[in-house]
Amino acid sequence: MKKRVLVGALAGMILALPLSAQAYNVSELQVNIWDNNQLAGIQQIADEWTEESGVKVTINVVDWDNYWTLLEAGASGGQMPDVFWMHSNTAQMYMENDLLLNLDDYIAADDAIDLANYYEGVVNLYNSNGVQYALPKDHDTIALLYNKALFDKYGVEYPTDDWTWDDLLAAATAITEAGAADGVYGYAINTANNQDGWYNIVYDYGAQIITDDHKGTTIGSDEGKAAMEKLRQILEVSAPQTTVAETGTDSLFQSGLTAMITQGSWMINSFYTSENSADYAWAMLPYADVNENGACDPGERYSAYNGLGWAASYQVADPDAAYSLISYLCSEKGQLEQAELGVTMGGMLGVSDAFSNAFPGMDVSAFVRAEEEGDLFFRPYTRNTTVWEDALQQAGGFLDAWQNPSDPAVMAAACDNAQAIIEQAIANE
Amino acid sequence: MFKHMSPKERTEAKWGLLFVAPTILGLIILNFYPIFNTIYQSFCKTGDFGRGNTFVGLANYSKVLAASETWQSFWNTIKYAIIEVPFGIIIALILAVLLNKKIGGRSIYRTIFFLPMVCAPAAVAMVWKWLYNTQFGLLNNIFHTSIAWISDPNIAWISIGVIGVWSIIGYNMVLFIGGLQEIPGDFYEAASIDGANGLRQFFSITVPLLSPTTFFIVQTRIIGALTIFDLMFMVMDKTNVALKKVQSVVYLFYQYAFTNGNKGYGATLVVVLLIFIMILTFVLQQVEKKVVYHN
Repeated sequence: MKKRVLVGALAGMILALPLSAQAYNVSELQVNIWDNNQLAGIQQIADEWTEESGVKVTINVVDWDNYWTLLEAGASGGQMPDVFWMHSNTAQMYMENDLLLNLDDYIAADDAIDLANYYEGVVNLYNSNGVQYALPKDHDTIALLYNKALFDKYGVEYPTDDWTWDDLLAAATAITEAGAADGVYGYAINTANNQDGWYNIVYDYGAQIITDDHKGTTIGSDEGKAAMEKLRQILEVSAPQTTVAETGTDSLFQSGLTAMITQGSWMINSFYTSENSADYAWAMLPYADVNENGACDPGERYSAYNGLGWAASYQVADPDAAYSLISYLCSEKGQLEQAELGVTMGGMLGVSDAFSNAFPGMDVSAFVRAEEEGDLFFRPYTRNTTVWEDALQQAGGFLDAWQNPSDPAVMAAACDNAQAIIEQAIANE
Repeated sequence: MFKHMSPKERTEAKWGLLFVAPTILGLIILNFYPIFNTIYQSFCKTGDFGRGNTFVGLANYSKVLAASETWQSFWNTIKYAIIEVPFGIIIALILAVLLNKKIGGRSIYRTIFFLPMVCAPAAVAMVWKWLYNTQFGLLNNIFHTSIAWISDPNIAWISIGVIGVWSIIGYNMVLFIGGLQEIPGDFYEAASIDGANGLRQFFSITVPLLSPTTFFIVQTRIIGALTIFDLMFMVMDKTNVALKKVQSVVYLFYQYAFTNGNKGYGATLVVVLLIFIMILTFVLQQVEKKVVYHN
């Protein structure tokens, strides 16, 4: 008698489920991300998946530095979150140690995902030995952010898409000189502004931070030195290093003390929602007129790009549920929604226009033009990126030159040091 | 081990062990296991995620001892201790003596001085970071100066030390007040009758009778100061020019073990620090026998 009741109840439960839904053996997925700006949008998309799947999604935001400490501790101790973001700095290490769920079979059986529809650099980044370990969540580019109010105040023309780095130097000089009494600088950049800063100028001049085979660098080459020499001239009229290290370039810009900074598309929301956002505008990064023909030719304007990946833990309780969530987030619907909500640009090709329209009143098309009109290079990475990336930012790396921008010899020496630091770090990998 | 005991003693011993078992277990799992694992790792070239450690003998040690940044960070740590320990103790002692007297609002003052101890160290550091800011900081605004408190390598170590002193005086003060209350009041009465003034009483009664407490604080604070990490980590940006002249040994350990993922090298750094602290503690114990006054 009891048995029959149980069978009846089970049958009732199965019938009650919508036909499309697959029954998962977990009731909740733990998701880790590091960017609080993106939480609301991603939670919204994940909630839609919850409606279909019946599995709750709990998103935890852990700040960038602790995110990796926590994930590494979790990976060592077997306690990783179910689904989480991957980044070019560390992906190689996680993939080689088989800590991420192999997605190959799932992708093959999934109609919603075709890897050809995504940014190639991001797809390749999360592929190790032919195995796909993460799906592209997004991609980002870099643009020049300027404060129109300061340009007006000091009577300097706004940046345009035709600007070279020399034009930026001229404008920064004019503003720094005119604004000296107010403590206003034309431009501010820290050694830590690499992907969103000085890496770009290095590529414009034809050098590479990390070569295409990920085994070397050309930062110490003549091209690399020419690029950093141009940057040195800009540094001479920019906010001093102690100021950018103590206060931060973002805070300087938002306090109206610097007229221009370079920024990544992942930061738009932070400036869009800040107090004086009506004064802020974006232009494409300047280019380097290396062949001196007065026009921007292919290879003269680069923007770094990078993309996060959605990955799952290799020991996730229900891989089907985890993949289903990843697939939903990376499907055309999820990607379009991510762009429309202004969370980030898509990892999928062709959803960027939706992103441009996500910020009424602010023209952010410079980020899209950067890839349509300029060239992109993938954020330089090796197996253990942080080792050399941190060293380049500190004393013994480029910090010396930032500290003493009036001496060209110091910058040239810093380029040689950087060459040695990167080569040494790669040799130790 | 229970053989030579009477049945009653045996039962007592068993119960005694049972009661301390949670502590013993906690120490083994949370302290001893990590200590021995760290020492083991310091002899290894560690693999990613704690896998594939290969034994390399003393290779890490020769690298650590040969690196100039190791000695620089040891020197930085010692400089920090030279500020934090003496000033933290002298100021706390004076405050404790004053707040041990029957003055109005005594408990309010005690609470105020103890407050930094209750605040999260990260929050304390963030507040000081902005106080010290060259452009917007309150300090430079009040004094109309433009001193780079935390970016000038000649000043930054003092600035960090000041935060350390400010954070610790409350805790030291409470310990001193506890010590002061154990000194019998008769001593002071007798001294007054003999005509000793307040200052004389302080140096002839308070200081010697307080010496066990003072020594306890000196010893624990030296160890505390040598393992300092959070102040430098929170106050100074990674791109701060003064960082190399201020970063402590534990900061360097964090950089290698957690940021660069080189656990073996990091483990070696802390083992060297551990040995250094052990030697120092041994020396201090010898000094204690000579200096501290026991009645």
